[in-house]
Amino acid sequence: MLVDLPGGWSPLLGRLAWSQIPYANPILAPLFVAVVIGAIAIIGLITYYGKWTYLWKEWLTTVDHKKLGVMYIIIGLVMLFRGFIDGLMIRTQQVWAVGPHSSGVFGSLHGYLTPFHFGQVYSAHGLIMILLAATPLLVGFMNIIVPIQVGARDMAYPYLNALGLWITAAAAALIMISLFVGDFAHNGWFEYAPIFEMQYSPGVGVDYWIWTLQLVALGTTLGGINILATIIKMRAPGMTWGKLPIFVWASLSANVIALTSFPALQIALALVTADRYLGAHFFTAGMGGNLMLYTNLFWIWGHPEVYFVILPAFGMMSEIFPTFSEKPLFGYITMVLASMAIAGVSWLVWLHHFFTMGAGPYVNTAFSVATMLVGIPTGVKVFNWAFTMYRGRLTFNAAMLWAIGALFLLLIGGLTGMMLAIPAINYMVHNSVFVVAHFHSMLLVIVYAIFGSVLYWFPKVFGFKLDEFWAKTMFWLFSAGTALVFVPMYMLGFMGMTRRLEYVFNTGWQSYLDVMEFGIVVYTLSVLAFFILLYVSVRDHAKNRVGADAWGTSRSLEWLTHSPVPFYNFAVLPHVNERDEVAWRRQHGIDNVRPEHYDDIHMPNNTGVAIIMGGLTFVLGFALTWRIWWLCIVSLLAIIGLMIIRSFRGDPGYIITGAELQRMEEEAYRREAQIADSHHSHPVSGGVVGNAMAYQRNDSSK
Amino acid sequence: MSSHASTVDPKKAELWDTHHHSHDVISTRTLGYFLYLLSDGMLFATLFAAYGVLSYQHSYFGGPTPAEFVKPWYTFAQTIALFLSVLAYGFGMNALKHKNKSGLINGMLAAFVLGVVFLVLDIHDMSHLYSMGITLASSGGMSAFMVLTQVHATHIFFGLIWILVMIAQVMTKGFTEETVGRLLTLRMFWHLQAVIWVFVYIFVYLWGYIS
Amino acid sequence: MSHGAADPTMHPEVQLSTSKGYFLGFAISAFLMLVATFLVTSHSVPPFGLLMVISVCAGIAVIAQIYFLLHIDISEHNIWNTVALVLFIPLFLITIGLTWWMFSQLYLRTMDMSVMSSAMQPAVHASATPGMAAMPGMNAHSDSGN
Repeated sequence: MLVDLPGGWSPLLGRLAWSQIPYANPILAPLFVAVVIGAIAIIGLITYYGKWTYLWKEWLTTVDHKKLGVMYIIIGLVMLFRGFIDGLMIRTQQVWAVGPHSSGVFGSLHGYLTPFHFGQVYSAHGLIMILLAATPLLVGFMNIIVPIQVGARDMAYPYLNALGLWITAAAAALIMISLFVGDFAHNGWFEYAPIFEMQYSPGVGVDYWIWTLQLVALGTTLGGINILATIIKMRAPGMTWGKLPIFVWASLSANVIALTSFPALQIALALVTADRYLGAHFFTAGMGGNLMLYTNLFWIWGHPEVYFVILPAFGMMSEIFPTFSEKPLFGYITMVLASMAIAGVSWLVWLHHFFTMGAGPYVNTAFSVATMLVGIPTGVKVFNWAFTMYRGRLTFNAAMLWAIGALFLLLIGGLTGMMLAIPAINYMVHNSVFVVAHFHSMLLVIVYAIFGSVLYWFPKVFGFKLDEFWAKTMFWLFSAGTALVFVPMYMLGFMGMTRRLEYVFNTGWQSYLDVMEFGIVVYTLSVLAFFILLYVSVRDHAKNRVGADAWGTSRSLEWLTHSPVPFYNFAVLPHVNERDEVAWRRQHGIDNVRPEHYDDIHMPNNTGVAIIMGGLTFVLGFALTWRIWWLCIVSLLAIIGLMIIRSFRGDPGYIITGAELQRMEEEAYRREAQIADSHHSHPVSGGVVGNAMAYQRNDSSK
Repeated sequence: MSSHASTVDPKKAELWDTHHHSHDVISTRTLGYFLYLLSDGMLFATLFAAYGVLSYQHSYFGGPTPAEFVKPWYTFAQTIALFLSVLAYGFGMNALKHKNKSGLINGMLAAFVLGVVFLVLDIHDMSHLYSMGITLASSGGMSAFMVLTQVHATHIFFGLIWILVMIAQVMTKGFTEETVGRLLTLRMFWHLQAVIWVFVYIFVYLWGYIS
Repeated sequence: MSHGAADPTMHPEVQLSTSKGYFLGFAISAFLMLVATFLVTSHSVPPFGLLMVISVCAGIAVIAQIYFLLHIDISEHNIWNTVALVLFIPLFLITIGLTWWMFSQLYLRTMDMSVMSSAMQPAVHASATPGMAAMPGMNAHSDSGN
């Protein structure tokens, strides 16, 4: 509007035009057909089994933190898969386009991706993996586990929780649709000034990137407030700060980081928006703009962000190690202090992402020292995990393997991080694949912790264990892939290979790249193993049912609930006596004591407003990207209007009487007794998800 | 390190909550909202950081600087309007304390009117600049100046809408837990805008004028 | 989600509003803003000292507002708000302060010398014309950060 728009603009459709759909692209066109077929298949299956009402009532309108958490995890896994495909495409391009004699297809000179398309692939890969895969996965786990670990019935703000989920889903939808309508940013996942300005990126790619990120930031901020308020205000009686499970401490420190740092991202993006939409000169080359200001503002968010994703992963590891070492966590207090210290120091180190800017030795040294300081609390954690395992009775099941693998990756990633913290080294390897290998090692710590947690907590949420054999197979394949891809990458970084190369000029690197490509093939096999894992586990679910204490050696409060967790979590809120309450009760033989009396409890209603709001934010994001101004105004007004309407309607909730609770609880206890008696007898009634998870209280229809 | 010495006797320990520990809905709402407000404060801190970098001489690229167009007493009038609005809302909340519905609504109406005065003055100021050809596209420094001041003004705008909504809610629903909770959060929001304004006024308008 | 509990207007957070408190908050901050505006427009104080004075005005006004208006104190009802604010303030200072430090160092090292003297300071001492002439008497190699 205030900016000259290349490519034309119409009042009805903004910059949208038929030419923006890449129907001639040899990769995207078939992909689109596949996606349409897949979508029709899914919709067809749901219709055929008559599950639309179920889906709407139980999942799409839920405010239950467990279901919202499961949906977050589903979004995360789907986006992880998409991000993985992007990674596979990057690797394949780089192994193909080596040297001036390498062939080129699909219109590119070397390899199969043009530089323009390749740029979008790695930008999407980065953004998706960090913000639409790792973050929703972690937020999903925090959503499911934190309330039950503190002994609450739900989060502090159940409706806000649902809103956060659907806004995140809108962000995922926005980046997915950029595949087929328009293009995506092609300047890296964090962008650079001034290439993201209108003159150098005239397409809508950067705009898609801006609005996807803004939506993710909004969703995560809302979620952060929720978790913090839940931890501060909704702990069960007797749960003092010193008895808080370690994963809750990890979530607390992570969300403090989220709350404090995401606003900086929102501003950085807003200023880019001002440049691109209003012709401002924040980051332009000339007219008083400052290019490095963007990088500065972005990384003020960017660095705390990576600690936001790793702290919950550390928390997950801290839960898995004690359970499978049958010992309490070593050094609980120092673990807590270390998490807080990491959160605090993470705010002081962001310049290490741009040591090469030229701020000089004083500034560089200060940030370098601060970066190295972060290694100290991290080291404390590593030692505490090791000492937890020392002289414990170790069970090497798949969850434990993932946790141990994460520990090793942390060592490698952490040490290379310390190397990068030194400006002298950093100047040599800045923007090389050494950096890429470092941060992938760290992100893989998170991925390992997530897979470990999936195995660890799946029985609690769904009531049956995942198949051990396929879980272990997946672990070994994944770890082999990790080694094959990233060890050569570290070496290539030292040899001078820059990141983001669409064409690799040095044929001497071919053998390394070949090894890495083989690694990606192994990764693909591990993904296959994951799908087989899911299939086999669901097929055999009746054989693998578990009771409340799924592993027999669990320690924290969530293992007091039934498996799967009923929608009200606890019929009567527990009174907490010790840290590791469940381990304490089991030790003293009081883990099967039932409450004597059930009182009425108050639950929030489901609501369709959250998903409609999510849909509206998607429309708003899309309209802003394509500069369809009338649609922007309409959707913004609709969002505000809906907010106001909802605030008038409120939600009185509903009551579950003590008698109903007693009935449901007794049924759950009966089921658990059957499972305890014989694991191989006839399957217990109830579907995969179990009627105990159902919102509808009337279970007798089964 | 094994768990600290257990001081609770397992045979006598309370295992289930029998005291009907109900949670304080209002203070849960206000805590969460305050956390959101602090993140909003971080939004402004980042804007100030950007403004700091873009308020050097070269940021104005030879174009107009705040020293040339800021009129301190005019902006002081805006300040007083905003502060009075905040005060009026405070008086309204005091009326709430005494369950005085009309007092509350009067306070909120006064806060609304004064807030509108603030916005009108701000819009008049900005359109005056526009007519002189000074916009956020004039230079990096002007972009920073405009965005920072107008982000604050946008907060005021949305706050005004919220005040109207709350007036309607109080009139139709009276003093329910939800309405009272929302009035408290609105008070925090509105008062925070005064705090932010002090920083904007001193470090953007007045400092710019001094330069 | 109301529990139909006690009368919401009796909640401690409602009860701690006082007209006196709000009026004091208003009066102190309005007065300080008046002082600042007056000092700035009367041109009676040299620029650098003026900056210090109005910053102090801002600081005191904000503290008054935070105490009287936002009810930040260490009473049981407000303690978490206070804790949260106290944890955020260093972050505000870090964001603004460290950004300022790194960019002033950057300008020191990378800006063209002839424009540096006037460009180095935030546009406090500069004249309206963009930094063409180095100000007489200003040492371009000033020792801030040498």
